[in-house]
Amino acid sequence: MNSFEQKTYSKLSSDRNDRIRTKRRRSSVGPSDSNKEAKKECDLMAVIVDSGAYTIKAGLSSQQNSTLIPNCIMKAKSERKRLFVGNQIDECRDCSGLYFLLPCERGYITKWDVQKPVWDYVFSKNVCPINDNPVIVTQPLFNFKSIQDCMDEIFFEEYEVNSMFRLNPTDLARLKYAEELKLKDDVPCVIVDSGFSFTHVIPYINGNKYLNGIRRLNVGGKLLTNHLKDIISYRQYNVMEETYVINQVKEDTCYVAENVKEELKIAAKTGSANHIVRNYVLPDFNNIRRGYIQDPNNSDQKEKEESCQILRLNNERFIVPEILFHPSDIGMKSMGIAEAVVKSIYSCPKQQQENLAKNILLIGGNCKFPGFRSRIYADLRSQLPQAWEVNVYLPNDPISYCWEGGRPLLRTPDFKNFLVTKDEYEELGSSIIQQRFNTWMIDNSTANEEPKRAVEVYKYLDKLNSQTIFGKQDNGNNSLETKVNKENINLSMTPPENGDSGTPISLGDEFDLGTGSEDTSQDSFQQPTEPEIISRTARKANLRNNSPENMVSVNKDFESFTSDDLTNSAELFPLGTGSYL
Amino acid sequence: MTISKSTLRGSNRLKEGDKRRVVDETSRKRRQRKVMELLESDNYHDDPHADLVMSKKIPRFDDSLEQRSTRTKKRNQLVDEDRAEAEANKRVSYMDIQCEESPMPPRHFCAVCGFLGHYSCLSCGTRFCCIRCMDTHADTRCLKWAA
Repeated sequence: MNSFEQKTYSKLSSDRNDRIRTKRRRSSVGPSDSNKEAKKECDLMAVIVDSGAYTIKAGLSSQQNSTLIPNCIMKAKSERKRLFVGNQIDECRDCSGLYFLLPCERGYITKWDVQKPVWDYVFSKNVCPINDNPVIVTQPLFNFKSIQDCMDEIFFEEYEVNSMFRLNPTDLARLKYAEELKLKDDVPCVIVDSGFSFTHVIPYINGNKYLNGIRRLNVGGKLLTNHLKDIISYRQYNVMEETYVINQVKEDTCYVAENVKEELKIAAKTGSANHIVRNYVLPDFNNIRRGYIQDPNNSDQKEKEESCQILRLNNERFIVPEILFHPSDIGMKSMGIAEAVVKSIYSCPKQQQENLAKNILLIGGNCKFPGFRSRIYADLRSQLPQAWEVNVYLPNDPISYCWEGGRPLLRTPDFKNFLVTKDEYEELGSSIIQQRFNTWMIDNSTANEEPKRAVEVYKYLDKLNSQTIFGKQDNGNNSLETKVNKENINLSMTPPENGDSGTPISLGDEFDLGTGSEDTSQDSFQQPTEPEIISRTARKANLRNNSPENMVSVNKDFESFTSDDLTNSAELFPLGTGSYL
Repeated sequence: MTISKSTLRGSNRLKEGDKRRVVDETSRKRRQRKVMELLESDNYHDDPHADLVMSKKIPRFDDSLEQRSTRTKKRNQLVDEDRAEAEANKRVSYMDIQCEESPMPPRHFCAVCGFLGHYSCLSCGTRFCCIRCMDTHADTRCLKWAA
């Protein structure tokens, strides 16, 4: 590492044609404003690359639309001496039995020997050359550190880009969303990104990702295609090797049902009453290159299709996308997409929850299933409070929506300061640069606040446990408990109303009750109604079971409690406490 | 199958029950895990070019790329590292954001025809909806994957 730094230093001193300087530059290096004009020019143009696990969306920011390039290398059975990289698959005559080399494993790049040639293809002359423009490239949420190292290395050292920026695709989507709906930048919104490898639910508050509210569902388009492949292979033809074709079948025929049980009833019918069943003409790569849904009224066409293989799709059409909403259908221990959105909203600060429900944005390829938006809306409507306004927004092109967010990003004031130049990379090394990338649009500040509240509530209950007023001498030699009590004393010195002045039933009140009952033990109750209920239930729960094991389990759970559980428990405390103790 | 008169009385299913091989809980879980792995796999079949002598088109790496490929880590390794680092820095990690199990009970679909499956196979627990589907299941998939 040392030798590396030395090397870069010597290089720096020899030729310092810094184009873009930033505030965080080391103070020892003097400012150079000579190239400011050149910098302004390059602000207008940048290569935007949304590098997804299945498709790369790339293009110059000045272009109207991005180019969609499959992020994979394919091998065909028919052409044995050739690899098809990205869009080259269009040149392949026979796409049956395609073998895929995918660079990503569950959304994260692990096979660099596949990713590099694909990127080489993307940045080649005919597709999307870089030509000294800054590069904006996306990375998945929580991208692993060694992957980030590799990305920096490839872009700066192999492609020798002058400056680049890495960020999550949803950041771009949020910028685009704010621009499109002419919202203020700090309007909170929830972005549901349902892609090839997984589905993310990400709340944005004040323009930043709220880390504690993020949820990931390990269901993506790949899983759906593989599942469809599996059930077709069991029920009709063996298509296990035809991932490419079945993916097209999925795209052409699948839809999201509004009400699955009703839909199943229709699918069970025979004859014309069943309007769900479709015959899909499979491609033979001779006359038909891409399959299509057969038109039952066109008899001329039917004769032609007699020699083709036809796939009959009935309940598969809506059962397959249903996995997104109920992963338990295939035995996955996870909640569905709508539940994840609800959970995510509830784990955000209370004053923002209602606003988050007003702006829900759907992006990613899975959102292209017909009926996806209305189903999400219906599910959310039934799970969120009636008084809240729920808006679900689905863009025209949910796949390239993130890419389109590149333009508003370039228009962001100060954006040029965020770009990292090659010199900075060489000077500072990738770890410092990564910090800059990874703190972009992230809200980690409130993350500590919520669990602290949790501790307060439980400490209060602990204190009740340890008091003798219920006629039970508690085991005071429990080490965990004494520790908690010590902390409690520390806490009682700080004013409890600090954070939660806005919430009507604030936990601070309960805390007051806790200290009050200890110090004065008589007339310190400000609000006699709510706290009384709480204290009564707490007492009940306390009497029911206060064995040391229970205490330990409660204490263990402190860290893992999300604020969602707590806000719920504050509201429904009389019901909730029993299950916690 | 001919049944002698003395054995006619009573439920056939119960009599056959002892002979039936039942897949235990662990192998059911193993089977489920296999299915999930299959659902995440890139390809079902083997590389069609595997028997080919390396063609020139297959990407070759210069030295710097070689270096990177040694740095390439398995996904599990990456997740573990991330968790360790996240714990050290008290930040939210990759594993933290995974969805919990739903409080709602799972729905069951017939593994054969895809409609609601109200019955489950005595041997392996797979769902089916009617006797026809049960027979299909028993003839095809039941116990075939139990290995």
